[in-house]
Amino acid sequence: MTPKKVQRKEKEEPRIGVYVCHCGLNIGGVVDCARVAEFAAGLPGVILSKDNLYTCSEPGQELIKADIKEHRLNRVVVASCTPRLHEPTFRAACEDAGLNPYLFEMANIREHCSWVHLHDKEAATEKAKDLVRMAVARSKLLAAQEPLEVPVTRKALVIGGGVAGIQAALDLADSGYKVYLIEKDPSIGGRMAQIDKTFPTMDCSICILAPKMSEAGRHPNIELLTLSEIEGVEGYVGNFTVQVRKKARFVTDSCTACGDCVKVCPQVAPDEFNAGLSMRRAIYMSFAQAVPSTYQIDMDLCLNKHGIIACDKCFQACQRQCVDYSQQDQILTLDVGTIIVATGVDVYDPTPLTEFGYRKFPNVITSLEFERLINAGGPSGGNLIRPSDQKIPKTVAFLQCIGSRSKRSNIYCSNICCMNTIKDALLIKEHWPETKILVFYIDIRAFGKGFEDLFQRARREGVSFIRGVPGEIIEDPETNSLTLIGEDTLLSQLYRYEVDMAILSVGIEPRKDSPVIQRLLNLSCAADGFFLEAHPKLRPVDTPTGGIFLAGCAEGPKDIKDSVTQASAAASRANILMAQGKVIVEAITAVVDETLCQGCGMCVKVCPYSTIREDPETKIAQVTQASCAGCGTCVAECPFSAITQRHFTDAQIFAQIDAITEEAPETKAVAFCCNWCSYAGADFAGVSRMQYPTPIRIIRTMCSGRISTEFIEYAFRRGAAAVLVSGCHIGDCHYINANHQTEKRVNRVWKKMERLGLDKNRLQLAWISAAEGNLFARKMKEIDEIIQGVTPEEIEKTKQILVPKKKGKGEGTEPKE
Amino acid sequence: MKFWRLPLDAGSHSIPIGELHIIKDRCKGCGFCIEFCPNQVLKEAPEFNKKGYHPPLVTKQGECVNCNLCEIICPEFAIYSVLKEYKELTAEDIAGYSKK
Repeated sequence: MTPKKVQRKEKEEPRIGVYVCHCGLNIGGVVDCARVAEFAAGLPGVILSKDNLYTCSEPGQELIKADIKEHRLNRVVVASCTPRLHEPTFRAACEDAGLNPYLFEMANIREHCSWVHLHDKEAATEKAKDLVRMAVARSKLLAAQEPLEVPVTRKALVIGGGVAGIQAALDLADSGYKVYLIEKDPSIGGRMAQIDKTFPTMDCSICILAPKMSEAGRHPNIELLTLSEIEGVEGYVGNFTVQVRKKARFVTDSCTACGDCVKVCPQVAPDEFNAGLSMRRAIYMSFAQAVPSTYQIDMDLCLNKHGIIACDKCFQACQRQCVDYSQQDQILTLDVGTIIVATGVDVYDPTPLTEFGYRKFPNVITSLEFERLINAGGPSGGNLIRPSDQKIPKTVAFLQCIGSRSKRSNIYCSNICCMNTIKDALLIKEHWPETKILVFYIDIRAFGKGFEDLFQRARREGVSFIRGVPGEIIEDPETNSLTLIGEDTLLSQLYRYEVDMAILSVGIEPRKDSPVIQRLLNLSCAADGFFLEAHPKLRPVDTPTGGIFLAGCAEGPKDIKDSVTQASAAASRANILMAQGKVIVEAITAVVDETLCQGCGMCVKVCPYSTIREDPETKIAQVTQASCAGCGTCVAECPFSAITQRHFTDAQIFAQIDAITEEAPETKAVAFCCNWCSYAGADFAGVSRMQYPTPIRIIRTMCSGRISTEFIEYAFRRGAAAVLVSGCHIGDCHYINANHQTEKRVNRVWKKMERLGLDKNRLQLAWISAAEGNLFARKMKEIDEIIQGVTPEEIEKTKQILVPKKKGKGEGTEPKE
Repeated sequence: MKFWRLPLDAGSHSIPIGELHIIKDRCKGCGFCIEFCPNQVLKEAPEFNKKGYHPPLVTKQGECVNCNLCEIICPEFAIYSVLKEYKELTAEDIAGYSKK
């Protein structure tokens, strides 16, 4: 059922009830509520109009319910506080009385009126009248809506088998859901499996991880897919269809990991797990504790290419005949309801920082190489040795912030390196107490639980901390020892230290292939390349795309504890969706009128959620209701007015503009504010009692992307002195990037005004966040000055020359009356 | 990350190097050895043999690992390899692996 049909059915005469709330003295102390109610009673369609002390109170709500029944009201308007506060309360009251909640409308005469115009009671009352007039006008055009209920598949997909992915998969599997755990490497375990010890407790990393890995491997609810990558994702919250390529392993599941095959393999290559510090064969297992505990063949290295068998030594060696050179990649299709992205991080490659000589001097190593060297299962059996002569070094230097906190590499702090170095220094002290350890740092950031204790312990045990990272490392070609040159910024002295070995404490950065995941799942990335959460404070594991959650370092650098915490949080968020078994999509989605759609594809381009598709044959746009977030950007973009946003229709917004400009439009400004940032910013100005001039009249839309150029021009044609378009700051849009479209559209109107010789200053664009009440108030003062400066001639000229563009089919976004 | 360092256990590994022998005039130019060499060591020679075919030519001497595949698949018994030596790994070999 399209909303248009609904509207037609609802063509009964509007019977509107208006309730003007005093909110004690909050509104009543400034606005003459009785006068406003009296004014409302005279508006067409209004059956009854009342003012009362607290409309949101129990008796206030009962009054509305009784009136709906007694007076057969089919619209209710409450003029009180911000809809962001009590709209749900009143909607529920309407629903109780049998009125569709979408037939309720609010006028914000507290945050946007009484609180910000405390000292001008007359003007505030006039503004309140206008706001009620706007609400009444809009309410007449409201239509009953039914929110969409979408079923949720009770299966989850976890992408990435590091510690975060394992934890998320285990949590969900323990809750009783089927989980697919996908890992691109041959074994799960991730970065944590490579690390020797963890900070601050100095636990053996693999000892605490391995039990979790094997639990994930044998859990009846977890299907482990290693050597697997995502190739395609379709669908929306609760109903994703995922294509997975499970690469051939060339060794069957019957492998007992005896290792007989390895001994005979003639092909060797550097071992990735040991950071290239040891060799592996073409048939290998990444590490002893690998899950699944199965060998695999690296076909890039193996001599058997193109299905031609040049060497069958491993096949001959395997008693259980597990080697199968003919295995093929499999493409699996998985249906899941939720997705957790735990794709982890890459390690920064310090080669571009040539002053440190990495790749030139053998005794300059990275912190990851150090982890493998100090690990008993590593290439040196846990002996810290210099790569050049394999002797144990007497003096070791750690260099901090390599690849972090610098414009030359990554600008952010990698979060883990300080504590990792302190842990490493203590490990050296534990095994070789005589070793002299120097740590060169910018700042030591020991912010977590138990971190400072560990730092102090390192200092007590004689680790020297020197503030100032060396500017250069020089090697003695004879001994391969290193000289570090730099400045101690605490003593303001140049230093020169001779060391046997230098460890670059490298930062972490987003995975090289994270843009692929970003594209497939329609995620957003912050400037640093890590995936962006839906809200940094209050929705830290959600993504802007419903049903997809983030865990671990994919979202930003973090240590093991934080990764595990976040993984459990993500699992719990996914659990909520799957436990309910359904999601409710608010009835503010976009709907296409197929008779008007010309198949131009403009809407497809601007949709931030890629939820609009063109029918391959007819080219007609199709909106997937379940994944439409309701920003309305497509509606504003459609040149044929073929798309309607439910509950925020063009007609409703035009009616609001009409109401504002009905009386003395030359003294007023029309403001379009997005629900999440600038409308909330205006609310915040109200709550903070920031006083500003009264001419502004705010129209709320979900996103500034909903504001079409037509609305702006129409407001000017109606004689408004100024127009403000306002939304979230670029990069903070609640609808991913819909406000980029806002910017483009305002620019278009500016250009047109310029071309026509109009004062383009009268159209203002402002990015105002929910916390920037002061910015909002300042903008209002600016706009008041603009209004003062606009001459009647200018307004008259605008009305004359700012004519609407001739449109093709579907003309008539403007109100017919 | 690309690897560059000679692994610590590089000394205990070595690469077998095969010496290829081609009996040019037996070749009938089927191209199997060129096509299926896992290390792409061979290519077609520009000159003709007595029979009027292009026999194979060794282009990357030292990259043959003596797998003997060419010897096995050659229908004319025109090519064979013998183990020449075991080569020690070098840093260049490691850089080469990372390229693959």
